[in-house]
Amino acid sequence: MSSAFSGPILEFRGVSFNYPGEKRIVEDLSFSVGNGEFIGLLGANGSGKSTILKLASGMLHPAAGGITLWDKPLSGYRNKDRAKLLSYFPQHLDVNVPFTVREIVGMGLYPYDIPPQMTVDEALELVGLADKAEVPVTNLSGGERRRVFIAMTLIQGAGLLLLDEPLANLDIKYQIEFLRLLRRLKETKGMSVIMALHDINIALQFGKVMLIKSGSILGAGSPETVLTGVRIEQAFDVAVEIKKSDRGNAYIVHEQW
Amino acid sequence: MRSLRYWMFGAVTAAIFCLALFAGPRTINPFEMNGMERDILFSIRLPRVVVALLMGMALGASGAVLQGVLRNPLADPYILGISSGASLAAALGLLSGFYFFGSVSVPLAAFIGATLVSLLVGVFGWKRGGLWPERLLLAGIGLNFLFSAVLMLLMSLSSDEGLRRAVLWMFGDLSMADWTLIPSASVFVVAGLGIALWRSRALNALILGDEFAHSLGFAVQRERLLMFAAMALMTSASVSLGGTIGFIGLLMPHIVRFLLGADSRVLIPASAVAGGAFLCLADLVGRSLMPPLELPSGTVTALIGAPYFLYLLRRKDVLSI
Repeated sequence: MSSAFSGPILEFRGVSFNYPGEKRIVEDLSFSVGNGEFIGLLGANGSGKSTILKLASGMLHPAAGGITLWDKPLSGYRNKDRAKLLSYFPQHLDVNVPFTVREIVGMGLYPYDIPPQMTVDEALELVGLADKAEVPVTNLSGGERRRVFIAMTLIQGAGLLLLDEPLANLDIKYQIEFLRLLRRLKETKGMSVIMALHDINIALQFGKVMLIKSGSILGAGSPETVLTGVRIEQAFDVAVEIKKSDRGNAYIVHEQW
Repeated sequence: MRSLRYWMFGAVTAAIFCLALFAGPRTINPFEMNGMERDILFSIRLPRVVVALLMGMALGASGAVLQGVLRNPLADPYILGISSGASLAAALGLLSGFYFFGSVSVPLAAFIGATLVSLLVGVFGWKRGGLWPERLLLAGIGLNFLFSAVLMLLMSLSSDEGLRRAVLWMFGDLSMADWTLIPSASVFVVAGLGIALWRSRALNALILGDEFAHSLGFAVQRERLLMFAAMALMTSASVSLGGTIGFIGLLMPHIVRFLLGADSRVLIPASAVAGGAFLCLADLVGRSLMPPLELPSGTVTALIGAPYFLYLLRRKDVLSI
């Protein structure tokens, strides 16, 4: 895509969605993602985060409104062309077939006739699995499996990553490692990221957050302006306080249970 | 390491084909054949080996495709009711006196039955503009029970000798094999195998899940439909050739994954070759063990296949479930 283009990479304009005959899951949603932006999509269970990401990935189609990718309607892209521009990372990774790590990472090249720059070995190096290339993925731990699929996504080379709760089921160590890896990719490769999450403490560290409730935006912007006690109570239906640690990190304190 | 395995795989398969052709109740030396031996080879053994090969290939490849499409390592083409539907159609054809196409009538009825059941499974598995693995599997299991029940009902109500023969034949019998059905069946097997090989990368992606397949640039529902059609073509052709032969569709993909890996680009053709070789071997065993009596091939595949499958199940590195 031309580097002269300075508009948003992804734009939702008045997007609504519902399954036929069912109630609206996403309601008149408008937002845009700029090049290199890192957005946290925060909301309670069932607030529509996953649906928004699936709409953005082209897997679901809006019932009303429009979505553009690089200023062109998302639905107008050929599947393979779209796959070179955005990749979607689902919440659940359940693979019960013993593909080797190398085989899975290599699948990231499927959209291409001529392979792009990065090789499987380089991608594995980036996620720290270089020594596991020939191991069946079914022999790896949950955290390692997630890194295999991250390597696949890296080699796919799309500039926009849609990540659906990538931190779910990860130890805090891997959560931090994963977020560091994403930051490195943003800095070195200029990737843009939308990440669905429900951990408010992690959202507080993002540059930009969108707070979702019932498929609509409750607030969008920097965490300081969006993630106030009042708004969080609206979104999650629980009373919280936002504190600052000695090191300047914001964190939440909730009611005693 | 893996290339050595490829060579061994190829050598064992080739050896089985040669054995199936030249060994048996009467051993034939290909370099010194008399007229009768030539007759046996070309009119009896060769068509039989070709039928076994086609059926085994179709079932092995169908199993590999279906296990991927349903994302279930326990799937077997017959679990979807395709075999019981085919048996029922063949029995109904015999009962209603459907001999219009001569000796091809029963296989034709079986093929039509198998195709109709595949369509029916597809219809029940369809929701929100696509085929869904769980729906397909449940629809297939339900239809399988239904058709088996109707077939049992017909069998218990009827004393027709033809019906009994058809039911026996449906249990997997290659002794009637001749050249008649080979040309048309091979068209379907080759077409199904062709589609499966052509879309084998898409199958790899589907195994990772619909979301990853979409993200990697595949039209998920179109790919699933193509793969389902390929599986249905091959299974229907196989059932019409020699009835229901169990275990090949389930077992071959597991053996190939263990020996050569899980990549569908290798798994599909190798499961086809392994299936062909396995059925040739089972048939050879079936006709050599107690001549002139012949054991139905379906029984032999199950007798060899089931213990081996149980052995694999005990080795935790084979079945990753």
